[in-house]
Amino acid sequence: MTGVAFWVFGVAAVVAGWRVFRTDSMVRATFLLLASFLNVGAILLLLGGAYLGMALLFMMTVEMTVMVIFMVAFMMNPAGLNPMNMTHQPRLAAVAGWAAFAGGAAVAWRSNFPDRPLPAGKAVIAELGTELMGRSMLMFETAGVALVATMIGAVVLSSRRSRYGQDAGDDGSLPPVLDPATGAYPAGVLPEPEASGHGHHGGHS
Amino acid sequence: MSLHADVWAAPVLAGAVLALGAYVVAVLDVAAAGLVAGTGSRRVLAQPVRNVALLIRQEPTLTERPDRASWVLAPALYAGLAAAGISVVPWSRTFSIADVDTGIVLWGSIEALVVVALFLHGWSANSHQPLLAAYRFVAVGLSYLLLSMFVLIAAAIPAESLQLSRIVESQAGLWNVVRQPLGLPLFAVAALGSTTWGPLNLAAGDDLSGGTTADVSGLPLLVWLGARAAMLTAFAAMGTAVFLGGWHGPLLPDPLWVVLKTVALLAALVASGHLVARVRAERFVTWCWMVLLPLGFADLALAGLQALR
Repeated sequence: MTGVAFWVFGVAAVVAGWRVFRTDSMVRATFLLLASFLNVGAILLLLGGAYLGMALLFMMTVEMTVMVIFMVAFMMNPAGLNPMNMTHQPRLAAVAGWAAFAGGAAVAWRSNFPDRPLPAGKAVIAELGTELMGRSMLMFETAGVALVATMIGAVVLSSRRSRYGQDAGDDGSLPPVLDPATGAYPAGVLPEPEASGHGHHGGHS
Repeated sequence: MSLHADVWAAPVLAGAVLALGAYVVAVLDVAAAGLVAGTGSRRVLAQPVRNVALLIRQEPTLTERPDRASWVLAPALYAGLAAAGISVVPWSRTFSIADVDTGIVLWGSIEALVVVALFLHGWSANSHQPLLAAYRFVAVGLSYLLLSMFVLIAAAIPAESLQLSRIVESQAGLWNVVRQPLGLPLFAVAALGSTTWGPLNLAAGDDLSGGTTADVSGLPLLVWLGARAAMLTAFAAMGTAVFLGGWHGPLLPDPLWVVLKTVALLAALVASGHLVARVRAERFVTWCWMVLLPLGFADLALAGLQALR
């Protein structure tokens, strides 16, 4: 049963990982990657990593959800449904990918993996907790608090309301000009009118 | 130690409980609507069946070039997550469908994956309103997820375990709803958010003409609504186990207490949809980070202090 489950999750993880590079949408690629990670998490559970496997499931899920939002936001493809070419430097990537695969496969092939099943009733979760919150606590807590502070700081700095106040409207802001006749201008800048001598700079909407 | 259901019996059992739960949700919804509107509550038991029959006969709509796989699979993922959730809930001191030793962490993954299911459902229709609703829901989802994590971890502290049966056992003397009074209300926020129900109906709201379900009809809509009601059932059962003392109670047998408490919690959650106005997404996100999240942290800190005492 466990053997069958391992092969099912293993094949699913590899196939989903392969499809990440064959799809044509950021959203599909991200969630295929998530599917691959979830299968790896399931394999971790099979290996007896009760907490680590479960934690991988929810951490990867939240991570990929955040990633999909940012990736779509930075692509000129607002929905993420339109087909787009998602590869760059394909030759270099292929060479690097095959080299990494060969290296990993060689290590897996040549290693002598130990066969030490966990003794039944071993409190793996409690041991992991003692490790994380015992000797290494200072390190983990410092890293954790630093990460949280960075995240909150990034949100505060980038949020419109925290920069311009609670009731910030659109007063004074100008959308980017994307008119083929006048050419494109960055947001907040209006093209200089050619006829009049005085330039009219942005500031009034 | 809890009994586990057989590997083949587990999905059947979880499915049956959730199907029954979805029907109870539908009945409660019709009853609450009748009570609040003052039109009385006739045909409370039959109305959900009529609605189901209507949806089955309705023709499914199809949008232009949707992502078919995601559109079909998102409701299945939603329902499957509800089934995984209900299976860790203990029904008596000797029986859970699967009492895994990391039940609370599994529940956290389920809540996170619900956000993915809802996003994919809205995104894959390749249509305007569902897409907006999907993005709006992710912002809301990321806001209440952390909150829910905090109150669940707080409940695990007195039990000294992440296992649901141990968490219920730890409430023998005092239920968590009393010991950690902030827990259940904050968990209810996550429940309403994850099922996009009532005041937090932000993914399928009328203001986006149905949101993620705007272009879904017929059988696919029935499956989606069923999965949503099933998820609400799973949340109520989980809330019962973590905050309302699970099987603990005088006289009646264990499973009956679990069912009674779950239905009571379901009734409160469903009634909120008819009594409380829907919140604005933007305002909710602000509230969540500024008020509810600190409250969740206070709940966790309180649990920690009680444990130290």
